[in-house]
Amino acid sequence: MAEMNVASGGGHKKGAKKVRGKKMSTRVDLTAMVDLGFLLITFFMLATTMNKPKTMEVNKPAKEEEEDKKKEPPIKMSKTATLMLGARNKLYAYVSPDEIDVNTELSLDSLDYSPGGLRKYIQRRQQEVKEQWGNQDELFVMIKPLPGSNVKNIVDVLDEMTISDVKRYAILEPNDPIDSLVAVMTGQSRK
Amino acid sequence: MPKVKIPRKSTSVDMTAMCDVAFLLLTFFILTTKFRPTEAVQIDIPSSTARIPIPDTDIMMFQIGPDGRTFFGLSDQPTRLKLLDRLASTYNFPLSEEQKEAFRVMDIWGMDIRSLPDFLSKPPADRMNVQQPGLMIDTTGGQHQVEDLILFSRQENNKLRIAIKGDKKTEYRYFDKLIQALQNRKVNKFNLITSAKTSEE
Repeated sequence: MAEMNVASGGGHKKGAKKVRGKKMSTRVDLTAMVDLGFLLITFFMLATTMNKPKTMEVNKPAKEEEEDKKKEPPIKMSKTATLMLGARNKLYAYVSPDEIDVNTELSLDSLDYSPGGLRKYIQRRQQEVKEQWGNQDELFVMIKPLPGSNVKNIVDVLDEMTISDVKRYAILEPNDPIDSLVAVMTGQSRK
Repeated sequence: MPKVKIPRKSTSVDMTAMCDVAFLLLTFFILTTKFRPTEAVQIDIPSSTARIPIPDTDIMMFQIGPDGRTFFGLSDQPTRLKLLDRLASTYNFPLSEEQKEAFRVMDIWGMDIRSLPDFLSKPPADRMNVQQPGLMIDTTGGQHQVEDLILFSRQENNKLRIAIKGDKKTEYRYFDKLIQALQNRKVNKFNLITSAKTSEE
């Protein structure tokens, strides 16, 4: 590009008597252009959004018609764990007994979303299911968000499902009688 | 002994190569850059360990703000126009070419569908400043606006995926309303948009 001449002593002819104008360099100073180039690069680098948002796939169980509901075999409650997501980042977990009678006792755990809370609970439950049924993938986690919980809670719980490799889980509505009881006991609103 | 003549060299550095590199990089960044899309409401998305990047095309996006206002957007413009035609015939409002053009470039919006023509005839600067009230998600009075949007968009472009972008603080009650609407239209699969978790929280 701008490589026309480098001042050198080699090319003089003694006999040339012509009056020459002062030899001007044809080299263009590109410094300013480089400056501009890098300035624009900086701008575009900063303006560009580098980390693309990620997505998390959610499958909801299809709304069944009334006839389908009857055909569906009920899942053994001892294979399940129910997580109830409440307002103010509260999380309650319980396991429904297979059969409910007068003597049934229900233990309700209050957890948090930290690895020491929810993840430990899920892993303990997986272990229990493995002991009882021989395969930890049998565990079915029912996620029941109460209206006061927020999107972050749901994402966190779904995330824990992926981390702990829970194969079967579903987001359900808290319309079980036990759910109402839990909601009332813990002072969470259901509406 | 003849003197060895050292040729005089210019002290200026040759900038050509550097200039080339600078502009090559510049070209790269100009071509790859994608500006942050306009947002109707500021949304702080939750983070997760999900690693699937969201595709750029064929996305039907719902955004739910922390106050529960819901917004709607389609990623591709031809589908937007087709959707608008369907809405115009269903909700009985005639539209001019300018209004259609305004709708075509609208990334995300949320209001009562019946107030769309008014909104679209405003000058662009006003459209930016208007506080949009959010979609009519309630089905009171036999209105099924959100369901109509879902149905029409999917009929016009059957490859659409549904993405929901909710603020961390959005309460589940608003989220649930949207999911109910989706499920009423037989959509049981959708994507939640999250950001990548940087460190163990």
